[in-house]
Amino acid sequence: MTGDNEPMTALRAPFTTPALRRAVFCVAGVVTAVAVLAVPAIVPASGVLILWGTGAFSSRPAPVVAPVFLVLFPLTIVLLVVLAVPLGRALGAAQRALADRLLGEQVAAADRPGWRAVGYALLKVPLAVPEGYGAFCYVFGLVNLSYPVWWPLFRNHPPGTVLGPVRALTPFGTIATRTFAGTFLIAAAGLAMLLVAPWLMRAGTTLDLAAMRRLLGPRRLAERVRELQASRARAIDDAAAMMRRLERDLHDGAQVRLATLAMNLGMATEKLGADGPPPDLAQARELVALAHRGAKDALAELRDLVRGIHPPVLDNGLGDALATLGTSSAIPVAVTVELPDRPAPAIETIAYFCAAELLANAAKHSRATRIELAVVRSGAGLLLSVEDDGVGGADPHGAGLSGLAGRIGVVDGRMRVRSPAGGPTRVEIELPTHV
Amino acid sequence: MRVVIAEDAAMMREGLVRLLTDRGFEVCAAVADAEALRSAIAATVPDVAIVDIRMPPTHTDEGLRAAIDIRRDHPGVGVLVFSQHVETRYATRLLADRPSGVGYLLKDRVADVADFVDALTRVANGGTALDPEVVGHLMRAGRDTTGLASLTPREREVLALMAEGRSNAGIAAALVITPGVVEKHVANIFAKLGLPASDNDNRRVLAVLRHVGG
Repeated sequence: MTGDNEPMTALRAPFTTPALRRAVFCVAGVVTAVAVLAVPAIVPASGVLILWGTGAFSSRPAPVVAPVFLVLFPLTIVLLVVLAVPLGRALGAAQRALADRLLGEQVAAADRPGWRAVGYALLKVPLAVPEGYGAFCYVFGLVNLSYPVWWPLFRNHPPGTVLGPVRALTPFGTIATRTFAGTFLIAAAGLAMLLVAPWLMRAGTTLDLAAMRRLLGPRRLAERVRELQASRARAIDDAAAMMRRLERDLHDGAQVRLATLAMNLGMATEKLGADGPPPDLAQARELVALAHRGAKDALAELRDLVRGIHPPVLDNGLGDALATLGTSSAIPVAVTVELPDRPAPAIETIAYFCAAELLANAAKHSRATRIELAVVRSGAGLLLSVEDDGVGGADPHGAGLSGLAGRIGVVDGRMRVRSPAGGPTRVEIELPTHV
Repeated sequence: MRVVIAEDAAMMREGLVRLLTDRGFEVCAAVADAEALRSAIAATVPDVAIVDIRMPPTHTDEGLRAAIDIRRDHPGVGVLVFSQHVETRYATRLLADRPSGVGYLLKDRVADVADFVDALTRVANGGTALDPEVVGHLMRAGRDTTGLASLTPREREVLALMAEGRSNAGIAAALVITPGVVEKHVANIFAKLGLPASDNDNRRVLAVLRHVGG
């Protein structure tokens, strides 16, 4: 919502479906709170009911109550201890379902909420106060607003009839009136209640949701442990995959070239002979030339491999490294790097390889004519963004992007992909500045 | 002498073809994967096949498996397995049934053309050629348990060359000593290790390998 229609929003707020749903949630909250309060009273109350039903109270002298309560009191305590956790759990589940259905708020479930759920059930009693208050204002606001409508229908007695005043409930006591004009005062009070009600209910439900997240949701530590386990597994897999790739590149590349080079030099040595005039100078020359070319190829291949492991230019900082990377892209890249100070080396490396992969993706799939690559400070971390003017349709769940998300997840990084069909594509990666 | 080459790196394959052709071998086929190797062997039945261990599609040990198949299906074809690195376990698998007409060398060995051609010829003629690296591994592993400590340094050199599959004449040439001296060393080694003496090079290799490799 923008600022200029805020008054309208405030006026309309009570009459929207969400407000109605919120009111239902609040009423349910009050019912729940009453139930929570009633549970400890069930056993003693049934005891009293039995005594009353059997006529014990009407007999004289007064009934002997003490033995009955000696039995009922421990029974209540035992039942409360035994039933508290399952009841709390059931209540928690019901509340989470209500929040989902009526407020559209999902609260992640803890593995086994246990005593924390009981804590929530007890907390529900004070939480129900603002919720109940809001619901009361909502319902009676509507009722009060309707007084001027039904007054003429029922108060049409002959003149001179003396009638008792009509009363209306407000949060600040009752209003009584004997005149039609007075009903407008009631209606005004109703309108005020109705306008206040959504905010009261919102305050109540917000507190309630916060309590649910804390007490019914997974513990923050447990959640963090799960996240860390997943990211550690990914880091280990990545490292192993990287070593395998490296071995493969060396085995199929530089090692083959060097073995061939050694072979050619070996053959050349034979052609030159041990001493005296060479038996086959022409072939020896050719073999040496072949070996020379092989050595240069092996060097080039090793250089590429080394750059793939850690680009040396990265030692000068992300700015230089990304500028170099940009110049080697087939699509023109505008590079902006604005960082007040240098991030940790590991972060620079991750940012560099993310940028390299995103540029490669753009070159392969986007059909873009230009790319903007930027790294800027964002809060405590840095924000890497790559935007192209291509055809869009990049799939964040595809192998490439999800692999990237996994790798940055290891350092608690986040990735956002916006790539509607028809373009443009913008990928944002948030990284901390230090691991 | 007729050769089939199986090597997936084109550069290396062409180099080998050139080297062997130059040395008077007839290269019947030069292929890039294990399947093509099997058909080439069946079609040409060469004297010897040079087989790279890692080839497409899985780049693991398909060359080794093809080599074992060839040794079973074509006992007359020598197989020289050729690799970027040597694994003692692969050598054991290769020598499992009989140590004849088989070789296992590092690719680096092609740099010494004469030695390489010698090893290839030995394998083609039903002999053995084990890489010094493999032999070194085995001898280091067997150092403590197999009485190798009782050998003189010279005897250990002779033992290593024997394990590579070289004949007495080959050992004599490599160490620049007379064949008679080699024979004396060999007899000493067999006595010290308690092995039955044998004139057959292959049986000798097997005995030595069984001894040091456990």
